[in-house]
Amino acid sequence: MIQIKAMILLAIMFILGACGGSGSGDSAPSQEEGGSQPPISYPKMTQAQASRLLHQATFGPTGAEIDAATNLSAHAWLEQQFSLSPTYHLPLLKLSPDKEQATYINRIDTWWHASLRAPDQLRQRVAFALSQIFVVSDTGNNLRSQPEAMLNYYDLLLKHSFGNYRDLLQDVTLSPVMGTYLSHLGNEKANVELNIRPDENYAREVMQLFTIGLEELNLDGTPKRTAQGNTIATYDQTQIEGFARIFTGWTFADSTKWTRPNKDYLKLMQVWPEYHSELEKVLLNGTVVAANEGPENALKLALDNLFEHDNVGPFISKQLIQRLTTSNPSADYVARVAQVFNDNGSGIRGDLKAVIYAILMDPQARDLSQAPAHFGKLKEPLLQTAQLWRELNAYSQSGYFITWGLDETHGQVPLGSPSVFNFYRPDYQPLTLAGTELVAPEAQIANSATSIGLLNYHYSSLVWRIASTKDDNTGNQILVDFSDHAKLVEAEGKTALIDYYNQVFLSGQMSDELRRELLGVFDWAEKQDLQYQIAYCLFLLVVSPEYAHQR
Amino acid sequence: MDRRTFLSLCLKGGVSAAVLTSTQLSAMQSLLNQQQYNDYKALVCIFLLGGNDSMNMLLPMSGQDKADYLASRQNLAIVDPISLSPISSLAETGLNPALAPLHDIFNTGDLAFVGGVGTLLAPTTLDDFKNKRSHIPAHLFSHNDQQARWMHGKEKQSINTGWGGRMLELLEDHPHFASNISLAGTNPWQTGHKTSAFAMSRSGQAKIHAFKGTSNRAQQIEQSVMRNLAASQSRLAKVYGEGLSTGIANSQAMNASLENLVPLPDFGEGRLSQQLQTVAKVIASQSQLGTGRQIFYVTMGGFDTHDEQVTKHPELLAELATSMSEFNRAMVSLGVNDQVTSFTMSDFGRTLSSNGDGTDHGWAGNQMVMGGAVKGQDIYGTLLPQRLGSEFDVKGGRLIPQVSTEQYSATLAKWFGLSASDIIELFPSLGNFDQATLNFMA
Repeated sequence: MIQIKAMILLAIMFILGACGGSGSGDSAPSQEEGGSQPPISYPKMTQAQASRLLHQATFGPTGAEIDAATNLSAHAWLEQQFSLSPTYHLPLLKLSPDKEQATYINRIDTWWHASLRAPDQLRQRVAFALSQIFVVSDTGNNLRSQPEAMLNYYDLLLKHSFGNYRDLLQDVTLSPVMGTYLSHLGNEKANVELNIRPDENYAREVMQLFTIGLEELNLDGTPKRTAQGNTIATYDQTQIEGFARIFTGWTFADSTKWTRPNKDYLKLMQVWPEYHSELEKVLLNGTVVAANEGPENALKLALDNLFEHDNVGPFISKQLIQRLTTSNPSADYVARVAQVFNDNGSGIRGDLKAVIYAILMDPQARDLSQAPAHFGKLKEPLLQTAQLWRELNAYSQSGYFITWGLDETHGQVPLGSPSVFNFYRPDYQPLTLAGTELVAPEAQIANSATSIGLLNYHYSSLVWRIASTKDDNTGNQILVDFSDHAKLVEAEGKTALIDYYNQVFLSGQMSDELRRELLGVFDWAEKQDLQYQIAYCLFLLVVSPEYAHQR
Repeated sequence: MDRRTFLSLCLKGGVSAAVLTSTQLSAMQSLLNQQQYNDYKALVCIFLLGGNDSMNMLLPMSGQDKADYLASRQNLAIVDPISLSPISSLAETGLNPALAPLHDIFNTGDLAFVGGVGTLLAPTTLDDFKNKRSHIPAHLFSHNDQQARWMHGKEKQSINTGWGGRMLELLEDHPHFASNISLAGTNPWQTGHKTSAFAMSRSGQAKIHAFKGTSNRAQQIEQSVMRNLAASQSRLAKVYGEGLSTGIANSQAMNASLENLVPLPDFGEGRLSQQLQTVAKVIASQSQLGTGRQIFYVTMGGFDTHDEQVTKHPELLAELATSMSEFNRAMVSLGVNDQVTSFTMSDFGRTLSSNGDGTDHGWAGNQMVMGGAVKGQDIYGTLLPQRLGSEFDVKGGRLIPQVSTEQYSATLAKWFGLSASDIIELFPSLGNFDQATLNFMA
């Protein structure tokens, strides 16, 4: 369960800012500890509010999901999501027909199946966000031939999505997939005679990317400055070498030989003490792990040392905010969430469920009238396609979602980043925003080539793959079904469809101009089948700037 | 508006090129050709992502240097180098045999190496490093920060601008979109204050399905899409709307210019080969586009060889060398070899010491420059001794560069046509060095 104090604090902030709650809401469960606060009433969401929350917290809502959520408050919807058991990916893996071994494309198929259809949408979305922080990738390396291992890594992220960050950090560190990707698997202590010293790869990236970043941060995510105005580095080569020693001695589980390990990519790595460096290790904030501490205890001390660093709260919170709600959170927003990271209200640090709750229940996230004008983010291409396929009940006759070349059509592949630095930097500023303080990370993959790739992908998905226009033998083609939308037009007219699209795809924020363009389709395409008219209409909507900007 | 202004505007993305036929485009090209330059020049940056172990491209052949090399590199040492005879050096130097496809290009004088290059703000000694003096570049050994430093060429004002884009802006008030082309997406090197790279896919194809055909549908959809893009309201919506509408207009112009090209020599199937093939096609169509200067960006990944270096690194170098030799052949066949210079950049060199089966992030490295204008068959800069504990070794075989990335880049920028004052504007820290440029370009 969510830690109650933090939850109530946020809920109060939200309700104070929200416009008068209408109708009956549900109440927070009564307080267990302290028990004196009155129960809090949460207003039910309108359609637009529900759509907005589900854009931030799922792989894109369907009309049916918005209807269901409209009976709930934001709090209750989140509680419901938190209570669902995880849909793990590895058990869903389906081999290609007549094949005995899984391949890369099977793991991509599995990702689509789970992301589109799993009921635990919030967990799936958070795991996707975490996969862009704790990056591993099978692009251009040997992990490409280990699809089960990649799925298992994603499952590890799913498992800890609502758990504690410290546990997540430990499992990520000991994952043989991460060990392979950042090469601390098989990393051994120094051999002075052979000029061999421990591999520094994981030591560096675990600090730069997974925990603290390069510069000391304030609680609100802004860099600390010296009197001269300079930023302060969080570590130097001394700490790199200290952590590099920590991550020595680990290899595949159940190996009988260090030099020829048993390649079990699914179990967490195990330690071979004789290959671990027992030298002293200098860590952060003046902490030193003494010589001969033993590999497991040294690892525990080192991960604690990282976890306890003041940067982790703001560093991780800000990136999760950027992945879910807004590219440019105000300093206050970051500070509010980082505070929850530091202490969930019950004295627990690193409670990710409380952090996710704080991100999504923040007044800025829930009430656009309290958010700055630039609030929101550019929708990731994979999230765009996911929403379309969810709403249009996409399927293929073969039962697979076979999608080659996502890097060229979407600029991103799940667990397929070009490097450990993810598809985009959190601080990427496109030229259009030059001279402002604003960033738009997702714009880094929206270059002319990928933007046109996505434009084409949407067109072919929507216009060339309409199920009712196809014969029987469509094989792996991913088909979309407009029949419900056509029924709506036939029963209630084109305006009803546009109103529906406004709720589902634009959270009720459609401009008059876009509405006119969409209605216009039914005039210029009137001689074509209704399904095509609808497909053109939806195509124009999803390639519009209004859809691109999730607010 | 006269025809020239109109076409110029159109190619810069101000007007949709869709309204022009390719015949109209080529009919107007001659106007643009005369616009600014008397000649044509192109720079092709080949970025080796991850940090190439480039010290292992050039090897000592004999004596104490070789003994030191073998002692430091151990199982990662290259024991069967190809002998190179640089013009200006008495000593033989060994070439990593994985680079064999470049040997002939070196010998015909179209390829040079530049040794000991890395990020520096001023000449730096071991003593400076140990005392953490202020001119030590920030975030050494970090991938993205060091990549950025190679690319921006100026103490960063913004993490996103680089010397390639700013160089074009110094040469032209409003750089033509086709003067700045990336085969690997957005990058700081090609981003200026008001221009950024036009990104092409590896295959170079960018037909727009929704707009294809002569039906009413195609026309209506195109017009509606473009109206929607132009109507972007919020700042973030504008990022998308302006980006896509410019991308569409430029892609249509590029598609038109890529029709009916002269045939090129074959390229391989690898990603770098494919990118360089598209670069070659664009260069072949340059007269259609009417750009006097072009910069290109291609990348090759996988150089972060923390493990399995013994097998991985030779494969990487072989692919690099093969792709570069294909590109050289294409430039010669197009008759533009003297006008096109390609060059490598990479995050950093790597440690001379091993971590068991690979190397870690280092500092100085060696780079390659190729083209008819290169004073080839030679090695410039400093071939640093591959000895642990030398006066250049800050620790573990991370070597202090003797040539700054800015001197290396400035030499290329000077050849490209930048004036001495523009070069200082582009690379202000050059004032800290004795020479602003090296001697590797004719």
